[in-house]
Amino acid sequence: MDNFSISVRSANGAGIIMPKGYVNNLGAEGLEHACEKFLDKGVRKIIINFADVQFINSIGASIFTGIVQKAVEYKGLLCFTNMKKVHSDVFEMLGITRHVKVFREEKEALDFLKDKE
Amino acid sequence: MKKKDDLKRLLFSLSSLVDLGQEVTSSDNFSRRMKTALFVITGMFSVPKAALLAYNQNRYKLELLISKGLKELDGISMQIKTKDIKAFGKNEPCSINISGNKSVFYGQSEDLFKKLHAKTFIPLFAKDEFVGAIILGKRLSKDSYLKSEKDVLKVIANQIAITLHNANLFRSLSNKVNENKRLYQNMRHIYHDTIQAFAAAIDAKDVYTKNHSYRVARYAVAIARESGWKEKEIEAIYVAGLLHDIGKITIDRGVINKGEDLSVSELSEIKRHPQISYDILSKINFPWKDLVHFVRHHHERVDGMGYPDSLNGEELSEGVKILALADAFDAMTTDRPYRKRLSLSEALGEVKKCLGTQFDSKISNIFFRVLQKELKGQSKEAQILPHLTKDFDPTIITTLLEGITAELSA
Repeated sequence: MDNFSISVRSANGAGIIMPKGYVNNLGAEGLEHACEKFLDKGVRKIIINFADVQFINSIGASIFTGIVQKAVEYKGLLCFTNMKKVHSDVFEMLGITRHVKVFREEKEALDFLKDKE
Repeated sequence: MKKKDDLKRLLFSLSSLVDLGQEVTSSDNFSRRMKTALFVITGMFSVPKAALLAYNQNRYKLELLISKGLKELDGISMQIKTKDIKAFGKNEPCSINISGNKSVFYGQSEDLFKKLHAKTFIPLFAKDEFVGAIILGKRLSKDSYLKSEKDVLKVIANQIAITLHNANLFRSLSNKVNENKRLYQNMRHIYHDTIQAFAAAIDAKDVYTKNHSYRVARYAVAIARESGWKEKEIEAIYVAGLLHDIGKITIDRGVINKGEDLSVSELSEIKRHPQISYDILSKINFPWKDLVHFVRHHHERVDGMGYPDSLNGEELSEGVKILALADAFDAMTTDRPYRKRLSLSEALGEVKKCLGTQFDSKISNIFFRVLQKELKGQSKEAQILPHLTKDFDPTIITTLLEGITAELSA
C-alpha cells in the first residue's frame, strides 16, 4: 500500500490518471475509483499513464479489468500510455488491450483524443 | 504460437498463485483475505465481474460475501437445491447458462447471474461439506478456460473453501463462547440478586438499618475503586458489604432493636455477630477467599481495641479497613435506636477524630478524596452522596474536606 500512489489531472477534456509504484494489492483500488469519478462526471476520454508503474500482479490486473469494464459500460474511450513491455504483454494475454487504445507516449494519446467526441 | 501463448497463460496463473499466497498470509482480516482471493482469480482470468458466496446451512442459501465489479448487491442471495449440490464436482469450475439452470438454482439466482454476466460456477467444498460458491462473469479475452487454468482455479477454490470452512467453525465457536458468556452473566445476576435479597433480609431485622448493608457495600466499592483495586477484588468487597451483618440473623430482634442502653450480656451478644457471620459464610465456597476475613474483622480497629480478635492495624488487610470505615460511616449518618444520626460534617469530623485509633489514616484519606470527587461531579457514578440525607451545603463540605486532606498531607 505504501508503494502505491495516484495523481490525477485533466487536459484537453481528457482525464489523466498516473499510477505510481506497485499495483499489486487492494490498496490500488483507488485507481478504479479515480476512473469511475471521471466517468461519473461525464469525462469519457481517459488516459492511464503507466510511466511510473513498477509492477503489476494478478490483483493489479483485476483492477485494470474492472477499469476496462467501467469504460465499456460508460461508452468511454480508454487509452494506456508509456507501458513497459512486460505490462503490455500481460494485458494483451488477458485480452485487456482489445478494449483500450495503446500509445507509447501520453502526448500521442492526447493528440488522438483531440479529434474524438 | 498457440503453445507459447498457452504456456504464458499457465505461467501467469502460477505466478498469481504466489500472489495469492503472499497477500492472503499478510492479512488476518477474513473479508480482506476473501476479497484478495477473488481479485487474484478475476485478475488471473480477466473477469470483470464476479462474486463469492457463503453457504448458510440454516437458511439453505448462498449469501453474498464479496463481489467484484458490481454495486448494489448487498443482501442478495440465491438458493440451490441440496440434492443438486452433490451433482457438482467438488471445487470444479463448471459452465452455467443463465436461463438454462433454473432447475438447479432459484431464489435471486437469475438476477445475480444476469448482473454478473455469469459464465462459470465453482461450488466450494471443504472435505464433503458444501461451504459456498464462486460465480465468474465472462472473460474480457472471451477465451474459454484451458485445462491447466481450470486446474489452477480448482486449487484456489480449494483454498478458499478451507478458509470459509474455518471461518464457519470459528464463528460457530464464537457464538458458543458468547452464549456461555451470556449464561454466565445471567447466573451472576441471579447470584447477586440472591445475595441482595439476603442483605435485605438481614437489614429487615433492624428497623433502623434498612438498606444498611447495601449502602456499606456501595461505600466500600467506592473506596476500593479509588484505591486502585481490580474489578474481581471490588466484587468481593461488594458482596462482603452486603453480607457482613448476616450473623445478626441469629441475634434476638429485641436486643438489636433495643432503644435504651444495652446490658453487658446484650452487648456481648451483639458483638458476636461478626464471628457468626464468618461461621455462616465460611461454609459457602465463594470465588473470593478474602471475603470471609473482611466480614469477620469489620469491627476491628487499627489500635487493636476492636472485636472479635483485637487485631491491630498491621494485622488488618486493606479490605477490612475499608469495610470497617464504610460500616461505621453509615452507622454515623443514619438514625439508631439510641441516638439521632450525625450530620455529614459531624460524621466527617468523627472519622477525622478517630484516625489512627478506630480508622486507618490512608483508607480514610482515600474516602475523603472519593467524597470530594463526588461533590465536584468528577465521579462517573456517585456511590456515597446519593445515599446521604440532603441537608448539607456541598460548598461547606468541600471546604471541610479540603481542610482535612490538607491537614493530613502536611
